[in-house]
Amino acid sequence: MPDKRTAEYEEREEYEMSVLDRLSDRLIDWLAAFITLFRKDWRRRNQSKIKEWKLMAYAINRSPPTLLGVVIVIVYIFFGIFGPYLVSWSYDFFPILYNTSTQLAHPGTTYFLNVTTIENGHIVQYTTHIHFLLGSDVSGRDIVSVLLAGARTALVLDIFIILIGPTIGIILGLISGYYGGAVDETIMRITDMFLAFPALILAIALSAVLPGRIQEFLNSHSWAQTLTLKLFALHARDVNNLGKLLAVFVALVVVWWPGYARVARGSTLTEKENLYVEAARAVGLPTRTILFRHILPNIIGPILVMITMDFGGVILTEAGLSFLGLGAVPPIPDWGNLINQGSQYFPQAWWLVAFPGIVIVTVVLGWNLLGDGLRDVLDPRTRRSLEFKLKKKAGGGEENA
Amino acid sequence: MAGIGKFLVRRGLTFIPTLIGVTLIVFIIAYVIPANPVRAWAGGEKASQAAVEMIKKEYHLDQPWYDQYVFLVKGLFTNSLLDPLNQEPVFSNIGNRFIVTFQLALFAFFFVVLMGLPLGIISALKRNSATDMTLRVVALIFISTPIYVIAYLFIWLFFLHWSLTTLAGIPPGPPHKITHIPVIDDMLTLNWGNFVQQVRRFWLPGFTLGIAAAGVLMRFTRNSFLEAYSRDSTLFLKAKGVPRRRLYRHVLKNALVPVITILALQFGGLLAGTPITETIFNLPGIGLYGLQAIMYLDFPALVGVTFLYAIVFVTANLIADILYAVIDPRVRF
Repeated sequence: MPDKRTAEYEEREEYEMSVLDRLSDRLIDWLAAFITLFRKDWRRRNQSKIKEWKLMAYAINRSPPTLLGVVIVIVYIFFGIFGPYLVSWSYDFFPILYNTSTQLAHPGTTYFLNVTTIENGHIVQYTTHIHFLLGSDVSGRDIVSVLLAGARTALVLDIFIILIGPTIGIILGLISGYYGGAVDETIMRITDMFLAFPALILAIALSAVLPGRIQEFLNSHSWAQTLTLKLFALHARDVNNLGKLLAVFVALVVVWWPGYARVARGSTLTEKENLYVEAARAVGLPTRTILFRHILPNIIGPILVMITMDFGGVILTEAGLSFLGLGAVPPIPDWGNLINQGSQYFPQAWWLVAFPGIVIVTVVLGWNLLGDGLRDVLDPRTRRSLEFKLKKKAGGGEENA
Repeated sequence: MAGIGKFLVRRGLTFIPTLIGVTLIVFIIAYVIPANPVRAWAGGEKASQAAVEMIKKEYHLDQPWYDQYVFLVKGLFTNSLLDPLNQEPVFSNIGNRFIVTFQLALFAFFFVVLMGLPLGIISALKRNSATDMTLRVVALIFISTPIYVIAYLFIWLFFLHWSLTTLAGIPPGPPHKITHIPVIDDMLTLNWGNFVQQVRRFWLPGFTLGIAAAGVLMRFTRNSFLEAYSRDSTLFLKAKGVPRRRLYRHVLKNALVPVITILALQFGGLLAGTPITETIFNLPGIGLYGLQAIMYLDFPALVGVTFLYAIVFVTANLIADILYAVIDPRVRF
């Protein structure tokens, strides 16, 4: 097996491996195996690509800020998915109804509640105590629980906005750059129209006027209602607050695509002049294939960095809108909304601003660190220099051999 | 200055479709306005049917969409769009508030330049050192910290602790008006008493608003400087034995070309943060006006504010392009 021997030889020759490197290697191998399940022979045919990925992972492993970013992002995604199930108190349980002094309770205090609720048609009465590790909000809700549940709101909006906005932008940019002429002019003029507004201003205006229409749509389509409730892990009684939440979603998608259209168009314009595009056209490949299988992979690097950074940007903007009272309304757990409540009681109830603020800054910083690291890794120049450094470190072994 | 006139004409012409586009989007916003607000404008639940009909007619709400569009555009350009709350033209209401917003953006811009440029250059000069690392982390933190978080920290520090600022009302402008922007007028007429009052009221909001943009500018300046440093011309200067100081002066000149364009763009970008800043610091600018308009369902005012923001933003972009063309002859063609 000559194949195998060269592979082993290369592995041994080049790198000093740390624990993280082995971990990332294994992850990438798993990923490759996973893809091979669906595409025959993928692993064998894309060996160079797998190797490249491993090198990128080594580069990331050697930059502590990026690693920090990766950890923060993983934690954020974990709480985004499981947060609503880890809370000790449901987001729509209002302790203030049972003990009025729980309003704006200080961090680290404990209160007793005489709860009277209706469960399955029976009146239930019980006494319990609630511990506010990070204090409570205006309706006496535990901040920890609201933060955890709010992670879901943030993550769902984040992922869906980034999934839809940039995708639209990239597709339009590819088409516009590839075809040129009248198509290009039309798409770019429309893009310019949207880019003429400061993003946040347009988002504010849209999320102010849209909720009514969206609520109408939700009320007439019960499947959309159930789906949104499930996605945001909300209870059925919040159906009438969904309009405002989704208005922010639509507003941010509208605001988020034009930038990508412009960037994608720019890179497509230079990329399509390359010989390989001409060759693909000469072979007679359909335009769709040329655009998405040939041009897109070559321009995706900078766009990927932009996307990573924008994961943080979406969180900032979304929380900003709910800080202004647009978007998520009180029973719906949301980080920006907590700060909005805190702003009215500021110096007294500082914890309402401080803790959600710290959470937002940490998560956004995480995405930005990751984006920065990715930029270095994806930039061939810096990556080569890094590989060179790594090789030099292991170079002692080479000399001996 | 070859070709600069031609470039200006060409760039000016693209301004027109953008402007039409802006009115179109503003119209879409006005058109999807939910839950017919007419009843609220007419006086709430008790409004008579006749009053509702009258208002509908006044705002052309019973007409087809193209008529509404013409009505809106006419209203925006001739300032005949009435604010239903006080029956005054929208832009007359906006006038004085815009000065506040503009002054806020000016203060922010001042801090952006003051922090972003020097720190970015220091970071580039000491690249890959501990200073550089610290500055880069600081820049990243600046970028990641939203206004509505850092503002409260600052209020706590500078207002509650050290009372270095005031947070209520705004000081009146100087009696003698030249540019209508108080700080600039104060400087021109040497009215230092009023100048100090203006600065005391506006420096903290401006600083808060500018901090994210300062982070962006720091990073941009650093990259631009390093890019200019890695050019062949720098290598040539080095080979020639030019002293370090002169070398850096040459590099800086090249590096500042893109930085100046970014600065013009950032001035437009700062506007986006003004609604939040004005809300927190209680400044009666157009951002706060627009947000209050949303609360009172006062949609003509919202449309007016959105339109004004877009106009200022587009103008800032235009200035950025022109500056770029003036500085760098290559982009004129």
